[in-house]
Amino acid sequence: MVTLERTIVPARFRTLTAVVPMLCGLAGVIVANIPISILGGLVPPPLLALAPIYFWCLVRPDLMTPAVTFTIGFAEDVLSGGPPGIWTLAFVLTYALVARQRDSFAGLSGLAAVLGFAAAATIACCVAYTAVAALAFLSGTHFPPMAPILGELAMTVLFYAPSTLVVSWLHHKLVGASRGDV
Amino acid sequence: MANAWKIARRSNVQLPLILVVALAVVLVLLGKAQGTLFDKMRAHATDTVAPVLEKVRVPVAGFGRWMGSITEIFSVYQENLRLKDENARLRQWRNVAIVLQGRVGRYQALLHAVPDPQMNRVLARVIGRANRPFLQTMILDAGRGNHVLPGQAVMDARGMIGRIYLTGNRTSWVILLTDLNSRIPVTIASSSGKVGNIQAMMTGDNRAQPSLEMVSRTVTLHAGDQVTSSGDGGLLPAGLPIGTVVADGSDGWRVALLADAASSQDVEVLNFSKPPEALPASAQLPAEAAGLKPQAPPPPAPVASATPAPTAPAPKPKPPVAVSDQALPPPAEAEEMDR
Repeated sequence: MVTLERTIVPARFRTLTAVVPMLCGLAGVIVANIPISILGGLVPPPLLALAPIYFWCLVRPDLMTPAVTFTIGFAEDVLSGGPPGIWTLAFVLTYALVARQRDSFAGLSGLAAVLGFAAAATIACCVAYTAVAALAFLSGTHFPPMAPILGELAMTVLFYAPSTLVVSWLHHKLVGASRGDV
Repeated sequence: MANAWKIARRSNVQLPLILVVALAVVLVLLGKAQGTLFDKMRAHATDTVAPVLEKVRVPVAGFGRWMGSITEIFSVYQENLRLKDENARLRQWRNVAIVLQGRVGRYQALLHAVPDPQMNRVLARVIGRANRPFLQTMILDAGRGNHVLPGQAVMDARGMIGRIYLTGNRTSWVILLTDLNSRIPVTIASSSGKVGNIQAMMTGDNRAQPSLEMVSRTVTLHAGDQVTSSGDGGLLPAGLPIGTVVADGSDGWRVALLADAASSQDVEVLNFSKPPEALPASAQLPAEAAGLKPQAPPPPAPVASATPAPTAPAPKPKPPVAVSDQALPPPAEAEEMDR
């Protein structure tokens, strides 16, 4: 087990840089949950918070910890208005699975990297849908339709590339060095 | 891209991860037991960002209209024909409605009917919409400060949109009729007129048309039957227009909603609280109004008697005629609309 820490960042900025992944995740939650749609609500908003979780879970798991993931999921639950705890559970379980296969996911590049993220997003959406379906079963109400969650999955994958560009830029500028810098 | 990432590892991730997963499961169960767990936080957050939403709403709505006009330009001719046809039919219905309104007014005068209580209405503007996989809602710019309370019905110009389910000081959230958690008792008025009103439960399932449940198997619905709120339970007023019955293609029935929650900009929140039914004064009883002789008063009790004589029970008045408070315009006004 090796821990590669960035040595360029001054010590006084380390605390600040340590919260950048969490702030990015929370910013993704806020942007995705602004209740305004320029497309008239035709498509659901993407899970923008999942891109920072996935990125830093692979790159700097010491900064994107399970507790940070929990916090981001909690914020998603509060702002999205859905059943409490659904996205918290979905994000945390996705984090757990991605963390277990970190080497496999981190080695992907190009289109394979997008597919890797799509797998993570699929896990998150499946967990969320299963949890809501279980709650509906317990309440004796309708199961939620599949189409909206599939739409959200598609939008999340579609927004992966631009989200990762922003997150990657922030990582290089504020957080840590890439492998090439070490 | 990924090859350029720096990979850091931690050996002590597993333990907190298990704890956090357990905490997330507890949160879901807690949310199931206490559904309003986050409501205060949500209401506070919406109140905080409401001024920003109001500022952003105008340009976004303008952009949405511009986008809509691009797609609608190809169907202007067909839309014009459809609207002309619909306008001609509505004019016929308006004349029928004016005649019926006059007749109902005469019946009310004959029966000395107790008018329905006037409902307070709060006009609100839609400042946000959320179309999430598990929640369909809209956010209004009126809250507890405007006397908006959870449970109140929300209408646009065409019909019912949903109910208030969360209120902040300045904002409120509306649960749409199409939402997974929406259940409304409704009355279905048969368009054929052969059977009376049918009671049912309208439940949302995140599709555009809510489904009808708990319909008795002895009745037959027809496409086009009118659906209104039944008022059962006293939470909503009776007679709010909701939609029309349509077949869902699998031996079931759904409701095509009159209101369009996706395009509504200004809505009304109905402040309905069912008042206790008061008996009318004896001079206004329906029997007397109909020309029947009033029942003779009981003979006076002897002065020496210590106990009062038993009195005959007063005739039980008929329930008041339910009349919708959405009055049609008077004939003079209607003629002006014609012009």
